[in-house]
Amino acid sequence: MIRLAIILVGAAILACLPFFTGAVFMQFAINALILAVLTQSWNIIGGFTGYVSFGNSTFYGLGIYGTAVAMVKFSLPFAVGLGCGAVLAVLAALLIGIPILRLRGPYFAIATLGLAAATGALVSTIDLAGANTGLVLPLVRADTMFYELALGLLLVCTLTVLWIATSRFGAGLVAIREDEDAAATMGVNTTAYKVIALMMSAFFTAIAGGIYAYWISFIDPSSAFDPTLNVRMVIMAVFGGPGTVLGPLAGSFILSAVYEVLSSWISTAAALLFGIVIVLAVIFTPRGIADVLVGVRRHGWRYLTRNIRENRL
Amino acid sequence: MKTSALLATVAFALAASGGTATAADNVVKLGASVQLTGTNANTGRYYQDAYRLTVDKINDAGGIKIGDKTYKLQLDILDNQSDVNLSVRQYVQLLKSDNVDFLLGPFASNFALNDSSVAEKYQVPMVQGGGASGQIYSRGYKYIFGTLPPADDYFASTIDMLGKVDPTPKTVALVAADDSFDVSVAEGTRKHIKDAGMKLVLDKQFRDGGGEFSSILSQIKSSDVDAVLWTGHETDALNFIRQAKSLNVNPKDFYSFTVGVPTADFRQALGKDANYAFGMTSWLPNESLKDKWFGDAKSFADAYQKKYGYAPDYHAASGAADVETFAYALEKAGSTKPDAVRDAIAKSDFDSLYAHVKYGENGQIDLPQIVVQIQDGKLVPVYTDHMLNKPQYPIPAWGKR
Repeated sequence: MIRLAIILVGAAILACLPFFTGAVFMQFAINALILAVLTQSWNIIGGFTGYVSFGNSTFYGLGIYGTAVAMVKFSLPFAVGLGCGAVLAVLAALLIGIPILRLRGPYFAIATLGLAAATGALVSTIDLAGANTGLVLPLVRADTMFYELALGLLLVCTLTVLWIATSRFGAGLVAIREDEDAAATMGVNTTAYKVIALMMSAFFTAIAGGIYAYWISFIDPSSAFDPTLNVRMVIMAVFGGPGTVLGPLAGSFILSAVYEVLSSWISTAAALLFGIVIVLAVIFTPRGIADVLVGVRRHGWRYLTRNIRENRL
Repeated sequence: MKTSALLATVAFALAASGGTATAADNVVKLGASVQLTGTNANTGRYYQDAYRLTVDKINDAGGIKIGDKTYKLQLDILDNQSDVNLSVRQYVQLLKSDNVDFLLGPFASNFALNDSSVAEKYQVPMVQGGGASGQIYSRGYKYIFGTLPPADDYFASTIDMLGKVDPTPKTVALVAADDSFDVSVAEGTRKHIKDAGMKLVLDKQFRDGGGEFSSILSQIKSSDVDAVLWTGHETDALNFIRQAKSLNVNPKDFYSFTVGVPTADFRQALGKDANYAFGMTSWLPNESLKDKWFGDAKSFADAYQKKYGYAPDYHAASGAADVETFAYALEKAGSTKPDAVRDAIAKSDFDSLYAHVKYGENGQIDLPQIVVQIQDGKLVPVYTDHMLNKPQYPIPAWGKR
């Protein structure tokens, strides 16, 4: 209940921001919101189910291309384009998920690693998708609309995650994360659960991609299927607290803001930042800052050293 | 957690809006976001250095006259770290919080494509010398102008020249990388080959940055072509030549590269093997290119070399021409209003250290590429629309040099 209240109040406050801030902040905010959606959707498969996916930027790219191709080549409206992107990504998640979700642990991560690059290479041979040269979308001067859209998407995505966290379905996902064999013995249809989790993740990721495509107005395979974006999703979710509802939001907002500030002050440090953050986060706060708030209150500063000891570092 | 996130965003909002906005009178601010770090930094530096040198030169000469007032130019450069999304944000920042009057471009077509949307969105003219792709100008935008000639025509002068040498090549192999720029080059080149009555017997694409050419080279060998036209990036060009030598692949008469050949790095890396290679550039530091501020292209190149310690290439010259475009347009418009300056830029017609600057209907300049060849370790201009120097043609086989 408290979490629901925080989400709704937070969303209401954020929804008013465009009326008080300028164009520069909007640019940053739209980007941060899209990244937050990506992180939150990654959380469904990576956080709750425990399957570390490096393939989510595939769904992002498919969302981008589904929307762009529908709008540019078939002159369909934006909303229909978003739908096309989402359908494409969810189908891809189904097709990809059934074979590779049979792999566990590092094997799953490795199998997803090449997905984005492979899909990008595939798209760059399709003439309908503009091949290597990319597609140009119509330019609209409506940053506030993109901001509210991204915020709305983040709200729906977070509410879905909240539902997952409190539902029987979510309990099934967590059971898979903790011990997949035991979960199967207890009657959880693990294959179906995992595939559905991946499809939900793909759905939100793809819509975020569609919004991005229309907003940025030019896309090509290398920007749509960018593997470093996937790394950011993982870092932000791990930093915030994978498998929690609000952790990924905190992680992505904080890291986006820090990155932005650093990149305008000392540019080279910004690139180093993500590497340093992941190292520190894994050592001191393996369960994310969501867990730190509870842990530090309970154990004080010893919480950090306890983490190191517990993880035998 | 939500509250801490909010605090962070609010803190950022304050930091972002607190930028200094003290534009003194009689200053015109030009802004650009350029790759100073990251993967494109090696070429990005040309733009920063050329912009700076040209702005300083114009200011030293007394600035520019707009109406009856004299203005100085001021330059704001941000580092986009070779990140497209960041560069878009920085262009908005330049316009909206740093209060820049006009925009100069970044390096590379994909950056120019995204960043020019910002210029169009806020209806502020951008003159960019870093992107050659025709897509930048095919969108019907009104506020984007460019000083790199269209990618489609990069091989036009080369093919024109091949029609005038003896023996004229009849069969051609085209080898192109798979990125946006090179795909455009390849598309245009196919048409030029057909129009010239030559036969395209081999048409191969490779992965940009792949560096592995043995299969393509063996196909070139077995198809026994007269000429090879190659387009891609510099490291791949070096690999292509090294592997061609080690596999002893010799096109009968001719091979040429869109990039690499004019640079000093290319000659250094290949040594003697660089000889005979044909290439192209849209600019050479030639005394015949007269300029209002620098005198001519040669003194620009000397000043550039002296100040930064390395020689400028066409990227730098193109960047310098972008700044000069604004200087001329501002004087002609007699005002700093974006629309007036935009119209004055569209009517640009002046000689510069880079070329004669005149923009087409779509905003892109049209220049012939100068065909160059490395002859005994020296870079020699060979052909534009007429022969400049005698080419060493046909290229001898690797064993007969």
